[in-house]
Amino acid sequence: MAITILAPAPAEAPRRTYHETDLDTYGEDEDEMEIDDLPSGHRRSTQVITPGQIVTDDPQWMRGHGTFAASDDASSAIRSTLAGTLQKTNKLLSVVPLRARYTPEIGDLVIGRIVEVQSRRWKVDVAAPLLANLLLSSINLPGGALRRRTSVDELNIRSFFGEGELLVAEVQSLFQDGSASLHTRSLKYGKLRNGHFMAVSGMGGGAGVVRSKRQIFTLQTARGGEVDVILGVNGYIWIAKHVEEKREEVGLNRLEETASQSMYSSQNDEISSETRREIARLAGCIRVLAEGSVKVEEDNLRRAYEASLELDEIEGEVRYLGGERGRNIVDMVLGG
Amino acid sequence: MPLDSSTYALAHLRVDGRRWKELRRIHGQMSTQAAADGSSYFEMGNTKIICTVLGPRQPTKSGGRDQSREAIIEVEIGVAGFSGMDRKKRSRNDKRTQEMQYTISSAFASTVFTSQYPHSTITIVLHVLSQDGALLAACINAATLALIDAGVPMQDYIAACTTGSTASYASNDEDADPLLDLNGMEELELPFLTMGTSGGEDKVNVLVMETRIQMPRLEAMVSVGLDGCKQVRNILDGIVREHGKKLLSSR
Repeated sequence: MAITILAPAPAEAPRRTYHETDLDTYGEDEDEMEIDDLPSGHRRSTQVITPGQIVTDDPQWMRGHGTFAASDDASSAIRSTLAGTLQKTNKLLSVVPLRARYTPEIGDLVIGRIVEVQSRRWKVDVAAPLLANLLLSSINLPGGALRRRTSVDELNIRSFFGEGELLVAEVQSLFQDGSASLHTRSLKYGKLRNGHFMAVSGMGGGAGVVRSKRQIFTLQTARGGEVDVILGVNGYIWIAKHVEEKREEVGLNRLEETASQSMYSSQNDEISSETRREIARLAGCIRVLAEGSVKVEEDNLRRAYEASLELDEIEGEVRYLGGERGRNIVDMVLGG
Repeated sequence: MPLDSSTYALAHLRVDGRRWKELRRIHGQMSTQAAADGSSYFEMGNTKIICTVLGPRQPTKSGGRDQSREAIIEVEIGVAGFSGMDRKKRSRNDKRTQEMQYTISSAFASTVFTSQYPHSTITIVLHVLSQDGALLAACINAATLALIDAGVPMQDYIAACTTGSTASYASNDEDADPLLDLNGMEELELPFLTMGTSGGEDKVNVLVMETRIQMPRLEAMVSVGLDGCKQVRNILDGIVREHGKKLLSSR
């Protein structure tokens, strides 16, 4: 038998070696050039900035989020505290992290879970560094339009929200320490039921939920009827069966009353297995988008959902949306 | 048989074939666990560490609410039973582990902007999968990467490495060479120290030495250590930049 000698495979390229010559030059490459070229506004630089790197030592710029000036530094250079990209707002320089925990801002639509019930407020986990507050006075109380809260309501506080229950709310204000105060004073907000909860990692990193025009929308699914999707800015997502509101009989005065009867119920409605399957498919699509570093927003989700249906028709139905199928879906979403 | 008197004196090559100021292979990854706020995997030679960072978050289960104005940095280290040469189970409140936890916690408290997160906790969880020297240094480097991945603001990287000194305690000083980044076998025989610095400014955040050494040798060891930390910092910086570039390109 002939012996064949295989040519040796080329060795793996060595990692970049760090010679002493480049020891003193890190982090100070081509910084000023870029700042002047960068347009002001939401556009960010494409260059990655790392912690401790000098962003600029020009005194004309102001320090924004993600930067600091070392107190012992005579040159008053602005340094980064995060790994991220540079953002310029007129003269203000800030570093936007690649990935970070959610930080609440006023007006954000968030989904939260009650972790603690206190005498006049709830503590809500909204994936932020601190728990958010939901005051008893900032929810819609049942039984009549905008009445004052009474001591009876305080005693019955668990009948509105108990520990572990999910709700959708809006950030009303921020406290000094950065924690949020929520409110649910709208028919859009309130307790969540009839659905599936999921969390994608917070902002940045390309993936995750971004602030957009519509965070709450309804999808017409192929077989399971209408499904509501709520994308919380904090990365928490709720996918639920769409429940038709009885709009026609609601007068202006009875608006609160009718809403409140079902608003604080923790009982799920009957959900057909088709609807459940479509909810699971949407959850799979969101997971695929998050893993593929694609923004989770309405358009992308609709496209991903249609792509998954299309692929089911071409290649046969697969329940698990991940691996090869997941990559195909991401490609189809990005392909337009 | 001591290593230094036998082989090192002849060719100035160490047991694993390195020169005195060469680091071992360093490899690191970021965002290894999607569920954590920040995570990393770090190898320094055969020492392998997994690190996850949770938080900053407000502890929910604790009875008393802490009213501190700054975030607390908690460190948990789990040393796997299979990580060392002999299978040994380290208990959770092992004194060595506790000291390492305290060292890491206080090191990061000096560089992380804890005042931005009042009443909250940052938990650093480290799992040692394999140990071959420079355990504390590898833990610090892994935690640095994970904290950056979690988007926790900090003044600078903390990069750490070890330095040792050849020749045993009693022998003469002229022959003593400082050695950079000892492996597990060298650590057993030679005096060494672990050092962690912040960035290029040579600000020392960690300096731990458990063995004894003559004073004149310390200076050489510290200066080699500072240089080693700079090299480690550059490697860490390279890892972060590469990771960032990958994330930005996929956007």
